[in-house]
Amino acid sequence: MECVVQGIIETQHVEALEILLQGLCGVQRERLRVHELTLKSVPNLGVVSSEVRLLCDLDQQPEPTWTVKHVGGAMRGAGADQISVMVRTMIESKVSKNALRMFYSLGYKLDHELLKVGFAFHFQRNAHISVSVSSVNKMPKIHAIDEAVPVTPGMQIVVVTAPATPENYSEVAAAVSSFCEFLAPLVHLSKPFISTGVVPTAAAAAASLMSDGGGTTL
Amino acid sequence: MPVKWVLYWQPNQGSTVSTQILNEAAQCAESINGVKEGRWKATLNYYKPMLRDQSNHPDLPRDFLGISLADQPSKYYFIIRSQRIVVEADATIQLIMEKLQSYKSKVSLYFDGFQYQLGDFRLRVGRVVPVHSESIRGIVMEVEYLPISSMEKARKVMEEFVEIWHEALSKRSLSGKFVNSELNFGEFGLADTYTPQHTGVQYAIVMAHMIATVQPVVRG
Repeated sequence: MECVVQGIIETQHVEALEILLQGLCGVQRERLRVHELTLKSVPNLGVVSSEVRLLCDLDQQPEPTWTVKHVGGAMRGAGADQISVMVRTMIESKVSKNALRMFYSLGYKLDHELLKVGFAFHFQRNAHISVSVSSVNKMPKIHAIDEAVPVTPGMQIVVVTAPATPENYSEVAAAVSSFCEFLAPLVHLSKPFISTGVVPTAAAAAASLMSDGGGTTL
Repeated sequence: MPVKWVLYWQPNQGSTVSTQILNEAAQCAESINGVKEGRWKATLNYYKPMLRDQSNHPDLPRDFLGISLADQPSKYYFIIRSQRIVVEADATIQLIMEKLQSYKSKVSLYFDGFQYQLGDFRLRVGRVVPVHSESIRGIVMEVEYLPISSMEKARKVMEEFVEIWHEALSKRSLSGKFVNSELNFGEFGLADTYTPQHTGVQYAIVMAHMIATVQPVVRG
């Protein structure tokens, strides 16, 4: 299970966001370069059609590492409507590098693939929170990560996630919400699929952060 | 990781596998100064594709299995023998498979028994039983040579140990023998240095042989 919110930011303001995050998180940023492949089951396979994501972390040494991720449905109902973050089932498993070949053999086909390039912060603030800022890139040819181009030039996606359990998701959601308020001058974060666009005053906020030399403590 | 061979009991023509053979093998281990260390257990699941329309069968593998090994409690191994695929994953992959609902575990088997220390060797002898049943379907034996991780370097000493084992066991006049399947790990993309994935592949091969050669069940 995880709590998740996301938003968009103009690329020109990403540096300011990084300065803000550096001050808030108190940890080193990590490079992010992930090849994400979404696989779908062939027709007739499965009780219902299914989808699974394979993530290849291209920055790991000595060689890229792979993770399989299943993202389930979001929590619904009156309770969920009251929470400003999305709470959904999510299961991850590290896998060896031939997992893609295995899923192809099992009747899964590549639906689409993306390359996410940017940075991330992982830290503890009443919950184990991860913030990633990345450009989302598509490939003109299958698996051609070296030829990837941005899906939306000039815009990047900000995603904040935190693992949760059925017992503690309220507290985790509150921690994520509370953290997101600090980012509000630059990026508005909301449940995925509910887009709120860029923050109109982001330029001013970014200018302030940049002129401050990164010394602002919140 | 030390090199390990996984052998299986092959009964003679007309004979069956039974708990008595397992007991004899255990006693044999003790007779050659094996020190009993405790129990071990592994679990193997055969997966079958779930199809919405049974009359329309896409080309999917019939030998997709998953195994959790005694030495690696936080990991799970998938093998598709016909495609020469072996994958190592976290144990949480089983939850992902349940969520996907595309494959279901239709047959599950336990391997369990005792393990013994014999100098630089570790021996595990165990029965193969379906989950929720006591009917023994087979017997397996793991032989591990602790000082060496290279398959090639360990080959001679492993062969010598198995020779000694066969000799000790032959005194008990059992109707069958333990067999080691020679297999080409390179076809599965595995190197000379031994890993748990090598064990997973050996179990998959052993099960294929057992299904093909072992006579149906005898209780007890």
